Amino acid sequence: MPLDPATQKIRAFDQVGTRPLRPDGLDKVTGRARFGADATAPGMLVGRILRSPHAHARIRSIDATKAEALPGVKAVVTSKDFADRSDDLRDILVNIMARGKALYEGHTVAAVAATSASVARKALKLIKVDYEVLPHVTDVDLAMEPDAPLLHDDLITSGVEPVPTKPSNIARKIEFGHGDVDKGFAEADLVVEREFKTEATHQGYIEPHACLASVGSDGQGELWVCTQGHYMVRDVCAQLLGMDVSKLRVTASEIGGGFGGKTTVFIEPVALALSRKAGRPVKVVMTRDEVFRASGPTSSTSMRMKIGVKKDGRITALDALLKYQGGAFAGAPVDYGGMAGVACYDYPNIRVVGYDVVTNRPKQAAYRAPGAPMTAFAVESVIAEIADTLKLDPIEMRLKNAAKEGTKSAYGPTFGPVGLVETLKAAKAHPNYKVKLGKNQGRGIASGFWFNFGGQTCVSLNLNIDGTLALAVGTPDIGGSRASMCLMAAEELGIPYENVRAIIADTSSLGYNDVTDGSRVTFASGMATIHAARDAIKKLCGRAAKVWGIPEEAVVWEKGFAKPSGANAGNFEPMSLKELAANAAKTGGPIAGHYEYNAENAGPSFATHVVDVEVDPETGFTKVLRYLVCQDAGKAVHPSYVEGQFQGGAVQGIGWALNEEYIYGADGRLQNAGFLDYRIPVASDLPMIDTAIVEVPNPGHPYGVRGVGETSIVPPMAAVSNAVSHAVGIRLTESPMSPPRILKALGEQAARKAG
Amino acid sequence: MHNFDYHRPTSLADAAKRLSGEAKLVAGGMTLIPTLKQRLAQPSSLVDLGGIAELRGIKPEGGGLTIGAMTTHAEVAHSAEVKKTIPALAVLAEGIGDPQVRNRGTIGGSISNNDPAADYPAGLVALGATVITDKRRIAADDFFKGMFETALQDGEIVTAVSFPRPDKAAYMKFPNPASRYAMVGVFVARTGGGIRVAVTGAGPGVFRATEMEKALAGNFSADAIKSVKIPAAGLNSDMHGSAEYRAHLVNVMARRAVTACS
Repeated sequence: MPLDPATQKIRAFDQVGTRPLRPDGLDKVTGRARFGADATAPGMLVGRILRSPHAHARIRSIDATKAEALPGVKAVVTSKDFADRSDDLRDILVNIMARGKALYEGHTVAAVAATSASVARKALKLIKVDYEVLPHVTDVDLAMEPDAPLLHDDLITSGVEPVPTKPSNIARKIEFGHGDVDKGFAEADLVVEREFKTEATHQGYIEPHACLASVGSDGQGELWVCTQGHYMVRDVCAQLLGMDVSKLRVTASEIGGGFGGKTTVFIEPVALALSRKAGRPVKVVMTRDEVFRASGPTSSTSMRMKIGVKKDGRITALDALLKYQGGAFAGAPVDYGGMAGVACYDYPNIRVVGYDVVTNRPKQAAYRAPGAPMTAFAVESVIAEIADTLKLDPIEMRLKNAAKEGTKSAYGPTFGPVGLVETLKAAKAHPNYKVKLGKNQGRGIASGFWFNFGGQTCVSLNLNIDGTLALAVGTPDIGGSRASMCLMAAEELGIPYENVRAIIADTSSLGYNDVTDGSRVTFASGMATIHAARDAIKKLCGRAAKVWGIPEEAVVWEKGFAKPSGANAGNFEPMSLKELAANAAKTGGPIAGHYEYNAENAGPSFATHVVDVEVDPETGFTKVLRYLVCQDAGKAVHPSYVEGQFQGGAVQGIGWALNEEYIYGADGRLQNAGFLDYRIPVASDLPMIDTAIVEVPNPGHPYGVRGVGETSIVPPMAAVSNAVSHAVGIRLTESPMSPPRILKALGEQAARKAG
Repeated sequence: MHNFDYHRPTSLADAAKRLSGEAKLVAGGMTLIPTLKQRLAQPSSLVDLGGIAELRGIKPEGGGLTIGAMTTHAEVAHSAEVKKTIPALAVLAEGIGDPQVRNRGTIGGSISNNDPAADYPAGLVALGATVITDKRRIAADDFFKGMFETALQDGEIVTAVSFPRPDKAAYMKFPNPASRYAMVGVFVARTGGGIRVAVTGAGPGVFRATEMEKALAGNFSADAIKSVKIPAAGLNSDMHGSAEYRAHLVNVMARRAVTACS
């Protein structure tokens, strides 16, 4: 039953909102789950990739004759094995295999398939690449300079009038907003303007990219791969290899983390090309070093943020300049990031200008609310500084400006029912907000937003002979979605959760599904599951009607039973799902439910985070004492998973704030391509992350569900920075806020006080 | 990993016999195995000391402790004997790496490797420990010879470390957030022989902060060393912290260690 159309109220639930055991849990803790690298096939070869040691170099020639002659080598591929193209897949084509130039350290130049890893490794050494090393640039501001080393001779900035005549590293200029910012600042009593820089970070998923490709001599291919979207993998790979889409079947493995980083292809087309050439299955597994150097970290940024307010804290104007570098190809998420980063407040006047810039770094990929944490860092830091200056309560100041139903967002749409106000109130009411702080301790607040996506979705639900259900969805489960799908199917059909088994079907078993991204799966695949269940219920009622010899409309479904709709329909004993399943063969054959659509009205999710830190003034080390995430889930289908998403995003954001960064040397090479030098927080670094689920139902979903996966990474950078500022009186404008950086700022503060 | 032969002798004499050519000893393997995996070493054979019972264990001896070379960090950290006699050493061992490392890594392996950011060298030098090998006894001051260098000769095997009991001792470290290696670790010990301040992580190898030792001899308090600056020249500088930052941390950690001693 959806929202009651008359009352717009949410139904009461029997199972949604409970916390059953996850269906994939036991397999994961016992090692039975099969991840990307666990795939195997008879006659399998080992694929290895040769990568550019240079940040920027022309490839004069590649001589692989010696490698090809090495016993045990079955195939070598280079860009010559992929047809060039000029459509919107060209950047991906050039990223997965360098053409003419190596654009970043780690860029794939060639690949081999051999009978063993050691032969493959030897073969890589025998491939002679003649490089002409070119000047490089990895910093976003430097890349925008007129005399910066140019990555692409044909990159003309889009979004600028008149159209530039010369190429540059600026792929795109964006601008959005409304009102008159000059007028807004003129009306302000206080204007604060600051510059910010954030470093690139990596999603840090534990499972490296891995796949097994097998292309037969008849041209039919199979690919087993760790990905967030196997339909995307199929379509992109088939096109890059010139295959009919129907000839390639892709199966998604269990996934050890993605966070957006597995929404594109890296090794998959290469593995397929190797397999096609070798005529044998080829497995390619990235090392952690390769993951850091050659997958898709997030953008680094350079930003200017200016906000004007009246004395009472009401915002009069915001003006932002955002520069995001996205690695060697266009596509830095300055648009989505900028739009989401400013979305929390109601601005009478706002202007956001953004630049998407290319540099000699790996092409960025999505990372949890792509682009939003950086702009939010700037917005929420300036808001905090304003609240401090005006001596306003930071939550009250945010409440005064908070986006709510009817607010026109800076990026265009007017918000429907949204939960920012509710998260702010939840934060204020939480015990954490009342804890008294000690010396060198400070509290930071920040809010955040993510749009949430819907997207193309197809699910299928099949009734088994014993009344249990097989539920096939096409969106890889990266955060517990199978449990949520099972709960929703069980809720609709009125059967126990344990009677539903959800699987991630391969690409030939279901219609197209967009990748698991945009926090869309529990919303979109969940809604499809509900509709597929209703489709099945309709058929089940039809079967009961047939047995009873009454019209289909005279049968209703209630808590697992078909029943006559009333006295007029006839006096029949309710028929259980189990009975209907057992009799299916006699009443018309298999019973299934299907649904396919393009989901809309995802409903955004807002959050407010509260963090307490203690800064060691002698070392600059910041310890997180307690951390609270208050976020709107619409309706939490499986609250433990919702809390897990809140906690996971917060932890990744804390890492971004305090530790994590891509460090490049003067040679343009990454200096810290491993977990011993790239520092993600681990359990022993942090306290338990506290959570408060806020439920403002999304009218676009039958149960009111909103996606929850991404918003949680948006506030932490600002929240931590605001807490540091309150602890020791310094405002940091660069991430990460590492101990040496904090100590330096404390030293400068002491010098200012002394001087 | 390149190919190599593997031996697991059950006696020290047998182990010594196996050490010919490019053979290498393996204790916990916490550094050697990753090095092999990265192909940064190519030994002809590995001689695993894990099968030699006499190399394990913690014994009270002459008022102090003797710790067998193959004793793991976890065993030292949890030993009632160590906690009673030299609690600071248990604290040091508890702070090495992570639980996996502490359950595999050994004191003998750690000191023989002499990583400039390892914790044990500071403990040995500050406590005036003696390294016992199958051939001789070496004072800790003479054992550590700079980055990954020790006084060990080819074929010489560390069998134990002997620690005298200090009156007071404390170890303070600022760990690298990822590896938990010491960015800077300072071990301060007050014994009958005087006061020693040993620093690890900051330089190319463990060293004694002699100016601090002098200042503390007159006045054993954190204030006594507050103004004792450690020169940044020659200290490690890397992406995690500059030489100046490390020099600053030496003073901070030393003061905290002194405070913890009193």
